[in-house]
Amino acid sequence: MSKPAFQDMALRVALDRDVARTSDGYDKRAQEYASRLTGTRLDKTQVRGLESLACTTDKVSDITDWLKLRVGRDSGRDRWAKDGVGRDLLSEFDGLRNDAQKIVAALSKTYSLDTDQERQVHLRLCREFLKHLAAHFEYLQAEHRR
Amino acid sequence: MNDLEYRLMRKQQIAAWSDRWQSDAARFADSHRDLLPRRITNAQLYGLGNVVRNARRYADIEKFVKRQAEKAGRAGRLDVQGYWSDLEAALGKLRGEAQVLLKNIPLPVEADSKQALDALHRELAGLYVQHLIAHSLYWTPDEGEHKRRER
Repeated sequence: MSKPAFQDMALRVALDRDVARTSDGYDKRAQEYASRLTGTRLDKTQVRGLESLACTTDKVSDITDWLKLRVGRDSGRDRWAKDGVGRDLLSEFDGLRNDAQKIVAALSKTYSLDTDQERQVHLRLCREFLKHLAAHFEYLQAEHRR
Repeated sequence: MNDLEYRLMRKQQIAAWSDRWQSDAARFADSHRDLLPRRITNAQLYGLGNVVRNARRYADIEKFVKRQAEKAGRAGRLDVQGYWSDLEAALGKLRGEAQVLLKNIPLPVEADSKQALDALHRELAGLYVQHLIAHSLYWTPDEGEHKRRER
Protein backbone atom coordinates (compact mmCIF):
# COMPACT_ATOMS: atom_id res chain seq x y z
CA MET A 1 0.00 0.00 0.00
CA SER A 2 1.35 3.43 -0.93
CA LYS A 3 2.03 5.97 1.82
CA PRO A 4 -0.78 8.40 0.82
CA ALA A 5 -3.29 5.52 0.65
CA PHE A 6 -2.19 4.33 4.08
CA GLN A 7 -2.49 7.88 5.48
CA ASP A 8 -5.96 8.17 3.98
CA MET A 9 -7.08 4.92 5.55
CA ALA A 10 -5.55 5.82 8.93
CA LEU A 11 -7.41 9.14 8.84
CA ARG A 12 -10.71 7.38 8.12
CA VAL A 13 -10.18 5.01 11.04
CA ALA A 14 -9.27 7.89 13.36
CA LEU A 15 -12.29 9.90 12.20
CA ASP A 16 -14.66 6.95 12.71
CA ARG A 17 -13.25 6.37 16.17
CA ASP A 18 -13.58 10.02 17.23
CA VAL A 19 -17.08 10.39 15.78
CA ALA A 20 -18.19 7.17 17.53
CA ARG A 21 -16.70 8.32 20.83
CA THR A 22 -18.37 11.72 20.59
CA SER A 23 -21.65 10.10 19.54
CA ASP A 24 -21.71 7.98 22.71
CA GLY A 25 -21.64 11.20 24.69
CA TYR A 26 -24.87 12.37 22.98
CA ASP A 27 -27.05 9.53 24.18
CA LYS A 28 -28.31 11.19 27.37
CA ARG A 29 -29.07 14.55 25.73
CA ALA A 30 -30.83 12.85 22.85
CA GLN A 31 -32.93 10.90 25.33
CA GLU A 32 -34.01 14.16 26.99
CA TYR A 33 -35.10 15.57 23.64
CA ALA A 34 -36.92 12.32 22.86
CA SER A 35 -38.73 12.60 26.16
CA ARG A 36 -39.80 16.18 25.32
CA LEU A 37 -40.94 15.10 21.86
CA THR A 38 -43.13 12.34 23.29
CA GLY A 39 -45.08 15.14 24.97
CA THR A 40 -45.98 16.56 21.55
CA ARG A 41 -48.35 15.35 18.86
CA LEU A 42 -45.46 14.16 16.70
CA ASP A 43 -45.42 10.57 15.62
CA LYS A 44 -42.50 8.39 14.69
CA THR A 45 -42.78 9.01 10.93
CA GLN A 46 -41.99 12.70 11.45
CA VAL A 47 -39.02 12.04 13.68
CA ARG A 48 -37.82 9.25 11.37
CA GLY A 49 -38.32 11.68 8.48
CA LEU A 50 -35.80 14.07 9.98
CA GLU A 51 -33.38 11.23 10.65
CA SER A 52 -33.74 9.94 7.06
CA LEU A 53 -33.13 13.40 5.66
CA ALA A 54 -29.97 13.73 7.76
CA CYS A 55 -28.70 10.38 6.48
CA THR A 56 -29.25 11.23 2.83
CA THR A 57 -28.29 14.89 2.56
CA ASP A 58 -24.78 16.25 2.16
CA LYS A 59 -25.65 19.57 3.81
CA VAL A 60 -26.17 20.48 7.46
CA SER A 61 -28.28 23.41 6.25
CA ASP A 62 -30.82 20.98 4.72
CA ILE A 63 -31.42 19.54 8.20
CA THR A 64 -31.80 22.92 9.87
CA ASP A 65 -33.97 24.32 7.04
CA TRP A 66 -36.26 21.30 7.35
CA LEU A 67 -36.64 21.84 11.06
CA LYS A 68 -37.10 25.61 10.75
CA LEU A 69 -39.93 25.04 8.25
CA ARG A 70 -41.63 22.53 10.57
CA VAL A 71 -41.34 24.91 13.54
CA GLY A 72 -42.72 27.77 11.43
CA ARG A 73 -45.63 25.72 10.12
CA ASP A 74 -46.58 24.44 13.57
CA SER A 75 -49.04 27.22 14.29
CA GLY A 76 -50.89 24.99 16.77
CA ARG A 77 -47.62 24.79 18.71
CA ASP A 78 -48.24 21.17 19.53
CA ARG A 79 -45.56 19.53 17.39
CA TRP A 80 -42.05 20.83 16.60
CA ALA A 81 -42.80 24.23 18.13
CA LYS A 82 -44.19 22.89 21.42
CA ASP A 83 -42.36 24.41 24.40
CA GLY A 84 -39.54 25.50 22.10
CA VAL A 85 -38.33 21.95 21.48
CA GLY A 86 -37.60 22.59 17.79
CA ARG A 87 -35.69 25.79 18.55
CA ASP A 88 -33.65 24.04 21.22
CA LEU A 89 -32.89 21.23 18.81
CA LEU A 90 -31.66 23.78 16.27
CA SER A 91 -29.33 25.25 18.91
CA GLU A 92 -28.19 21.74 19.73
CA PHE A 93 -27.24 21.10 16.08
CA ASP A 94 -25.39 24.40 16.01
CA GLY A 95 -23.52 23.40 19.17
CA LEU A 96 -22.37 20.14 17.56
CA ARG A 97 -20.15 22.28 15.35
CA ASN A 98 -17.91 22.87 18.37
CA ASP A 99 -17.44 19.12 18.75
CA ALA A 100 -16.61 18.88 15.05
CA GLN A 101 -14.05 21.68 15.46
CA LYS A 102 -12.40 19.83 18.36
CA ILE A 103 -12.22 16.54 16.44
CA VAL A 104 -10.76 18.18 13.35
CA ALA A 105 -8.30 20.31 15.36
CA ALA A 106 -6.98 17.20 17.13
CA LEU A 107 -6.66 15.20 13.91
CA SER A 108 -5.01 18.04 12.02
CA LYS A 109 -1.95 17.61 14.24
CA THR A 110 -1.32 14.21 12.69
CA TYR A 111 -3.04 14.24 9.30
CA SER A 112 -3.40 16.61 6.40
CA LEU A 113 -7.09 17.42 6.20
CA ASP A 114 -9.49 18.67 3.55
CA THR A 115 -10.72 22.24 4.15
CA ASP A 116 -14.27 20.88 4.13
CA GLN A 117 -13.53 18.28 6.82
CA GLU A 118 -15.04 20.19 9.73
CA ARG A 119 -18.34 20.62 7.94
CA GLN A 120 -18.43 16.95 7.03
CA VAL A 121 -17.73 15.91 10.62
CA HIS A 122 -20.45 18.31 11.79
CA LEU A 123 -22.89 16.60 9.42
CA ARG A 124 -21.88 13.17 10.74
CA LEU A 125 -22.41 14.34 14.32
CA CYS A 126 -25.88 15.66 13.46
CA ARG A 127 -26.71 12.25 11.97
CA GLU A 128 -25.42 10.50 15.09
CA PHE A 129 -27.44 12.75 17.38
CA LEU A 130 -30.59 12.13 15.35
CA LYS A 131 -29.99 8.38 15.32
CA HIS A 132 -30.04 8.38 19.13
CA LEU A 133 -33.00 10.72 19.22
CA ALA A 134 -35.14 8.66 16.83
CA ALA A 135 -34.35 5.41 18.64
CA HIS A 136 -35.17 6.85 22.07
CA PHE A 137 -38.32 8.48 20.72
CA GLU A 138 -39.70 5.23 19.35
CA TYR A 139 -38.81 3.38 22.51
CA LEU A 140 -40.40 6.00 24.77
CA GLN A 141 -43.51 6.18 22.62
CA ALA A 142 -43.95 2.43 22.85
CA GLU A 143 -43.47 2.63 26.62
CA HIS A 144 -46.13 5.37 26.89
CA ARG A 145 -48.63 3.27 24.97
CA ARG A 146 -48.24 0.30 27.33
CA MET B 1 -10.87 14.85 -14.46
CA ASN B 2 -13.53 12.37 -15.57
CA ASP B 3 -17.25 13.02 -15.47
CA LEU B 4 -17.87 11.19 -12.19
CA GLU B 5 -15.02 13.01 -10.43
CA TYR B 6 -16.38 16.29 -11.76
CA ARG B 7 -19.89 15.57 -10.50
CA LEU B 8 -18.69 14.52 -7.06
CA MET B 9 -16.47 17.54 -6.69
CA ARG B 10 -19.21 19.86 -7.88
CA LYS B 11 -21.69 18.34 -5.43
CA GLN B 12 -19.32 18.72 -2.50
CA GLN B 13 -18.39 22.30 -3.37
CA ILE B 14 -22.03 23.29 -3.68
CA ALA B 15 -22.92 21.60 -0.37
CA ALA B 16 -20.11 23.48 1.39
CA TRP B 17 -21.21 26.72 -0.25
CA SER B 18 -24.82 26.17 0.81
CA ASP B 19 -23.87 25.58 4.44
CA ARG B 20 -21.64 28.67 4.40
CA TRP B 21 -24.31 30.91 2.89
CA GLN B 22 -27.19 29.84 5.10
CA SER B 23 -26.33 32.57 7.61
CA ASP B 24 -26.29 35.22 4.86
CA ALA B 25 -29.81 34.25 3.74
CA ALA B 26 -30.94 34.23 7.39
CA ARG B 27 -29.53 37.74 7.82
CA PHE B 28 -31.48 38.86 4.77
CA ALA B 29 -34.69 37.45 6.28
CA ASP B 30 -33.92 39.02 9.66
CA SER B 31 -33.25 42.43 8.15
CA HIS B 32 -36.71 42.39 6.52
CA ARG B 33 -38.55 40.75 9.38
CA ASP B 34 -40.86 43.76 9.88
CA LEU B 35 -42.46 42.93 6.51
CA LEU B 36 -43.25 39.33 7.45
CA PRO B 37 -45.86 37.87 7.25
CA ARG B 38 -48.34 40.64 6.36
CA ARG B 39 -46.51 42.70 3.72
CA ILE B 40 -44.54 39.78 2.36
CA THR B 41 -46.85 36.82 2.86
CA ASN B 42 -45.94 33.18 3.26
CA ALA B 43 -47.85 32.50 0.03
CA GLN B 44 -45.53 34.92 -1.81
CA LEU B 45 -42.51 33.14 -0.34
CA TYR B 46 -43.85 29.75 -1.39
CA GLY B 47 -44.50 31.23 -4.85
CA LEU B 48 -40.89 32.36 -5.03
CA GLY B 49 -39.80 28.87 -3.99
CA ASN B 50 -41.84 27.31 -6.79
CA VAL B 51 -40.43 29.67 -9.40
CA VAL B 52 -36.86 29.05 -8.29
CA ARG B 53 -37.36 25.27 -8.27
CA ASN B 54 -38.87 25.21 -11.75
CA ALA B 55 -36.74 27.88 -13.48
CA ARG B 56 -34.77 26.69 -16.48
CA ARG B 57 -32.56 29.76 -16.63
CA TYR B 58 -31.48 32.27 -14.01
CA ALA B 59 -33.21 34.96 -16.09
CA ASP B 60 -36.60 33.37 -15.22
CA ILE B 61 -35.94 33.92 -11.51
CA GLU B 62 -34.75 37.46 -12.10
CA LYS B 63 -37.83 38.21 -14.20
CA PHE B 64 -40.16 36.96 -11.44
CA VAL B 65 -38.42 38.97 -8.71
CA LYS B 66 -38.36 42.12 -10.88
CA ARG B 67 -42.06 41.70 -11.66
CA GLN B 68 -42.88 41.40 -7.96
CA ALA B 69 -40.97 44.65 -7.31
CA GLU B 70 -42.76 46.42 -10.17
CA LYS B 71 -46.18 45.24 -8.98
CA ALA B 72 -45.48 46.49 -5.46
CA GLY B 73 -44.19 49.78 -6.84
CA ARG B 74 -47.36 50.31 -8.93
CA ALA B 75 -49.46 49.61 -5.81
CA GLY B 76 -47.45 52.20 -3.89
CA ARG B 77 -46.09 49.58 -1.49
CA LEU B 78 -42.58 50.93 -1.40
CA ASP B 79 -41.41 48.76 1.50
CA VAL B 80 -42.44 45.62 -0.39
CA GLN B 81 -40.83 46.96 -3.56
CA GLY B 82 -37.65 47.45 -1.53
CA TYR B 83 -37.77 43.83 -0.34
CA TRP B 84 -37.93 42.45 -3.88
CA SER B 85 -35.29 44.87 -5.14
CA ASP B 86 -32.96 43.85 -2.30
CA LEU B 87 -33.62 40.20 -3.12
CA GLU B 88 -32.88 40.82 -6.78
CA ALA B 89 -29.53 42.32 -5.78
CA ALA B 90 -28.78 39.49 -3.32
CA LEU B 91 -29.53 36.80 -5.89
CA GLY B 92 -27.74 38.70 -8.66
CA LYS B 93 -24.49 38.83 -6.70
CA LEU B 94 -24.51 35.03 -6.50
CA ARG B 95 -23.29 35.04 -10.12
CA GLY B 96 -19.91 36.09 -8.74
CA GLU B 97 -20.07 33.18 -6.31
CA ALA B 98 -20.87 30.82 -9.17
CA GLN B 99 -17.86 32.16 -11.09
CA VAL B 100 -15.57 31.53 -8.11
CA LEU B 101 -16.92 28.01 -7.67
CA LEU B 102 -16.46 27.25 -11.36
CA LYS B 103 -12.81 28.26 -11.09
CA ASN B 104 -12.38 25.59 -8.42
CA ILE B 105 -14.23 22.94 -10.40
CA PRO B 106 -12.63 22.61 -13.83
CA LEU B 107 -15.35 21.83 -16.37
CA PRO B 108 -15.16 18.72 -18.55
CA VAL B 109 -13.70 19.77 -21.93
CA GLU B 110 -16.94 19.31 -23.86
CA ALA B 111 -19.00 21.49 -21.47
CA ASP B 112 -20.33 24.91 -22.46
CA SER B 113 -18.94 27.31 -19.84
CA LYS B 114 -21.70 29.92 -20.31
CA GLN B 115 -24.41 27.34 -19.78
CA ALA B 116 -22.54 25.84 -16.83
CA LEU B 117 -22.27 29.26 -15.20
CA ASP B 118 -25.98 29.93 -15.65
CA ALA B 119 -26.92 26.48 -14.30
CA LEU B 120 -24.72 26.96 -11.26
CA HIS B 121 -26.04 30.48 -10.64
CA ARG B 122 -29.60 29.09 -10.77
CA GLU B 123 -28.66 26.30 -8.37
CA LEU B 124 -27.05 28.69 -5.88
CA ALA B 125 -30.08 30.99 -6.08
CA GLY B 126 -32.28 27.97 -5.32
CA LEU B 127 -30.30 27.11 -2.22
CA TYR B 128 -30.26 30.74 -1.06
CA VAL B 129 -34.03 30.94 -1.46
CA GLN B 130 -34.47 27.62 0.38
CA HIS B 131 -32.58 29.10 3.38
CA LEU B 132 -34.46 32.38 3.07
CA ILE B 133 -37.90 30.74 3.10
CA ALA B 134 -37.03 28.41 5.99
CA HIS B 135 -35.71 31.24 8.13
CA SER B 136 -38.57 33.59 7.24
CA LEU B 137 -41.22 31.02 8.17
CA TYR B 138 -39.31 29.99 11.29
CA TRP B 139 -39.90 33.42 12.80
CA THR B 140 -43.35 33.99 11.35
CA PRO B 141 -45.70 31.04 11.90
CA ASP B 142 -48.19 30.30 9.15
CA GLU B 143 -51.15 32.52 10.00
CA GLY B 144 -53.48 30.96 7.46
CA GLU B 145 -53.03 27.56 8.97
CA HIS B 146 -53.54 29.01 12.44
CA LYS B 147 -56.88 30.51 11.35
CA ARG B 148 -57.97 27.23 9.76
CA ARG B 149 -57.26 25.41 13.00
CA GLU B 150 -59.21 27.99 15.01
CA ARG B 151 -62.34 27.55 12.91
